[in-house]
Amino acid sequence: MTPPRQPAADPRVIELLILRATTGLTPAEAAELESLGGAGDESFDLAAAAVDVATVPRQELPDEVAQRILRAAGARPAPGGPLPVTLPGVAPPGAARSRAAGGPAPVTPLAPRRRARPVIAWSVAAFGLAAAAAALLWAPRAAPRVIVERVEVPAPLATPPSAAAARADLLAADAAAQTLPWTATADPAGQGATGDVVWSAARQEGYLRFVGLAPNDPKLHQYQLWIFDKTRDERYPVDGGVFDVGADGEVVVAIAPKLRVAEVALFAVTVEPPGGVVVSTRERIVVTAAPAS
Amino acid sequence: MVPVASSALASPPVLARIAAGEPEAIRECLARYGGLVWSIARRFDPLDAEDAVQEVFLDLWKSAARFDARLASEPAFVAMVARRRLIDRRRSRGRRPTLEGGELPSVADDALDPHTCAEAAQAARALAQLRPEQRQVLVLSACHGMSHSEIAERTGLPLGTVKAHARRGLLSVRSALLGVQQEEHP
Repeated sequence: MTPPRQPAADPRVIELLILRATTGLTPAEAAELESLGGAGDESFDLAAAAVDVATVPRQELPDEVAQRILRAAGARPAPGGPLPVTLPGVAPPGAARSRAAGGPAPVTPLAPRRRARPVIAWSVAAFGLAAAAAALLWAPRAAPRVIVERVEVPAPLATPPSAAAARADLLAADAAAQTLPWTATADPAGQGATGDVVWSAARQEGYLRFVGLAPNDPKLHQYQLWIFDKTRDERYPVDGGVFDVGADGEVVVAIAPKLRVAEVALFAVTVEPPGGVVVSTRERIVVTAAPAS
Repeated sequence: MVPVASSALASPPVLARIAAGEPEAIRECLARYGGLVWSIARRFDPLDAEDAVQEVFLDLWKSAARFDARLASEPAFVAMVARRRLIDRRRSRGRRPTLEGGELPSVADDALDPHTCAEAAQAARALAQLRPEQRQVLVLSACHGMSHSEIAERTGLPLGTVKAHARRGLLSVRSALLGVQQEEHP
């Protein structure tokens, strides 16, 4: 099978994505990007927007323009004309950032990985319940569509639920959420480890629960979650983020997938250098969990 | 976590309320982001800003439901929507970029604004690592919509240098947003 073209690794796709983010594409170029499978990657658009936001000299929107926009939107202008005044693009001091309605609970997500490592081909990964050993090539993963580090600001009036509480909420809210038990591999860190992963495909939200997973020293290594998606090339699992396990070996952490996961084939946890990696050598796979086939 | 010391990051999202049909949210969105969109539009095409901003906000009302706080901050999403409209308008009109005042912009370190959103903070840090001419080329390309040949013509830099600066600059910012070391591509 021919692997799908990966937007981040294809120079032509990158060229087109940069063009789209800066000067725009001709219809032919847009069609070419679509045919190459790169049209969904918005990471360059976000980067250009970030440059814009960071460098644009701020001006206030003229009131007459604002009133015209409100009229076009069918909204009634505020009595007295001018809109409530805030600095352009800047929120009132002290306000707390919260999630969009319907979004997942504001628990602490898995941290994004920081470091890149060279591509290393390798093989043989445990595939959990089926106990199937599959030779998996490894290559740079696809560029996330839009990935940013999130800044968590506690809500002023409400305490965010713990990951354990959020996990329970998810199970209560989504009857279709999957609960998949972990299967330990032969790696010493996973010996005796139990627990499960709860995953809601509809909400793209999930939680890992471990009991007995070996504590890690974050200065030496961290655990990293990978999500294999049946709709993606198996060489490009979705990076699920890094996490740590404390001395008691018990932890519940929220999954922070960097890409939408259409259909889970396997969850796998590896041991990686601090901050995680872009490309895993898969030398230390600790636990896996897979849906029943 | 991104060490951004700004109250702007603590802004409650308004787009979800627009998507839910809350009328007051439209005015609140305009109050919050009107200046940002206006500023971006004025820089991108000062002769077309008024009509463009109106179209941007109409786009924003329509696409509010697409906003996902897990994928981007609200200011960054708004800026993306604005830029798409501005780029489309310019292309459809076949207009060349216009530099207000006719002077090439320079972006000094102290002109970088890291306070609006996490992405701006990361971009500001990445831009601070670029040489002044690299930063200028990136801003001319990404924020003024100038083609590489137009930038080469205006700056006197060789076309190949302009292409390299624009490409590496945007890759640097993207890598900063993705939290990875810059990837090298041929």
